[in-house]
Amino acid sequence: MRLLKTLRLASRDYGHEWQMSGCFVLALAAVLGPMLVLFGLKFGVIGGMLNQLIENPENREIRPVSSGRFTRDWFGNMQRRDDITFLVPRTRSIAATIELDSTQSSRIVRAEMIPSGPGDPLLAADGYLPDGMSRVVLSQSAAEKLQVERGDRIDGSVSRRYLGRKERKHVELEVADVAAVGAFGRDGAFADVRLVEALEDFRDGRAVPELGWNGDATDAERNYPGFRLYARSIYDVAGLKSELTGQGIDVRTKAADIDLVMRMDRNLSAIYWAIAIIGLIGFSLSLGASLWANVDRKRKELSVLRLVGFRTGDIVWFPVTQAFYTGLLGWALAIGIYHAAAYAINGMLADQLSSGQEVCILLPQHFVMALGLTVGAAVLAAALAGWRSARIEPSDGLREI
Amino acid sequence: MQNVFQSRNKARSTVYHLRDVVRDRASEGVTFRLRVPALQISQGEKIALIGESGCGKSTLLDMLAFIAQPSEIAAYRFRPELEGDAIDVAQLWKKRHMNKLGDLRKCHIGYVMQTGGLLPYLTVRENMSLSRSVLGLKSDDTVENLARELGIARHLDKLPDTLSVGERQRVAIGRALSHEPSIVIADEPTASVDPFAAEKIMSLFIGLAEERNITVVVASHAWRHIKRLGLRRLAHHTHRSKDGRTTETVVNG
Repeated sequence: MRLLKTLRLASRDYGHEWQMSGCFVLALAAVLGPMLVLFGLKFGVIGGMLNQLIENPENREIRPVSSGRFTRDWFGNMQRRDDITFLVPRTRSIAATIELDSTQSSRIVRAEMIPSGPGDPLLAADGYLPDGMSRVVLSQSAAEKLQVERGDRIDGSVSRRYLGRKERKHVELEVADVAAVGAFGRDGAFADVRLVEALEDFRDGRAVPELGWNGDATDAERNYPGFRLYARSIYDVAGLKSELTGQGIDVRTKAADIDLVMRMDRNLSAIYWAIAIIGLIGFSLSLGASLWANVDRKRKELSVLRLVGFRTGDIVWFPVTQAFYTGLLGWALAIGIYHAAAYAINGMLADQLSSGQEVCILLPQHFVMALGLTVGAAVLAAALAGWRSARIEPSDGLREI
Repeated sequence: MQNVFQSRNKARSTVYHLRDVVRDRASEGVTFRLRVPALQISQGEKIALIGESGCGKSTLLDMLAFIAQPSEIAAYRFRPELEGDAIDVAQLWKKRHMNKLGDLRKCHIGYVMQTGGLLPYLTVRENMSLSRSVLGLKSDDTVENLARELGIARHLDKLPDTLSVGERQRVAIGRALSHEPSIVIADEPTASVDPFAAEKIMSLFIGLAEERNITVVVASHAWRHIKRLGLRRLAHHTHRSKDGRTTETVVNG
């Protein structure tokens, strides 16, 4: 009841002194707003850059140095590991080429077949995937040379020397998608593992019933000379490398690059934490100082409240309530400032960024954190100042003008 | 026999009983000392403390209102209600029971400050009701009646800064009386208004206190018009030590 009365009085005072209150809110927002923008930039630019480095599939790829003999069981076992996001068998590279031809272009393009499947880190996660014996994803350069785009039909052909005769077989393919520029630098076609296997079978003189190609019967047990393997993250690469080395498989990784990225991540994080801590200390001090000064200014009025019988504990609530308002309103205004600045910055750099990417970005939890910190620091400063002024003798407070 | 009865009766009705109460205050190398060898104030008495500013009047009033702690106390007893026992204020201070002292003030004492001390964000009505609402008293027509008697009824819903200084002092007097205290302490309540208004406000204040049989302690520097209102003047004298380092005021009564 007494507490409620104090809260009501504090609110009345805050509203009555709206100009002064407004100044405190502005002062808070003027410090917090730019800080939010700074954090938005850190989060957007550096976070984005690091994510690109960390998520760049090249850094997560593990390649076998020489060809081996990998069984289907081996693939089955390895695919169950959760530190591997993508693993498909490779056929012999010499057997994994195809000649592509389109009606739009007079050129015949000799493309490498890349075994692929769902979750291939080189292909867009939301794009169309190579599927079955007919749907392939072309690399950018292959698509350009063939002058085709998604949905077009192309002709694929392979040749072999079988029973002393040279023969060429054709398969009609559909361009399921065209991969992004960075996915594969040469002429290539991402295809379902079965299609890649079929081409190898054909070259080896075996029959491919799915495509109606004749030849010798297939072996029951198939072995693969290599694989395409991507670790879940760059942090898993080292562990996988030692695991594979342990199995007697020599692999090549981008360990040196990864080390660089990880060191950069650590150093940049340290730098930003330093900035963050310095910023926060400065922010808390400025907020605390202004609230402290405000309580000093109100000492006479607080003493009047004590004179009419408010207790020490009630008095502390008075500046605390007002600090809460200042914290809340200042935070809201700072968010407004941040959004305006972020909109301007992102708009300014929009044409230099890929779509959907933003330079200045904060997540909802960042705003909640800012609110907690602001209100927490404000309430703490006001409580300390209030406690101090509640402890001085009321007569001293009353005589000050 | 009759003498004994009378003196016992007097002891029973004593509100304040102070013996050898001292408060020192240092300021710019000079120590101001207020010494009260003995002071008794009876229920319903009207006391005037007359003197130049800086002689320690406010200090004594603040000690009587429990908002300034004495440096030394031999005895300090406070009996706000005739039926109740005397409260050992010296003990409360010694144990720093500030909230208990605050509660005593809240229940029994009204205080009129030299410069209003009204809260600028509350209306006149709310300022006057403040001492009532802190006590949890129901709002009735007490505040309206007081305002009418003080001549400020038409200002009840205004904010203090729209009022003249004299009107603000009337509001302050109203606030000190609205919770029906048994003691009202006023520190130069009319110092900041012109002499004519001062006289009017002071007699209004004393009149209201008289009607309600309230004990009054008022400090003022103008004895002339207070004398007419029939207040008892407390004797005090101030002297400065030879080296000028100490100024001591002694109050007796």
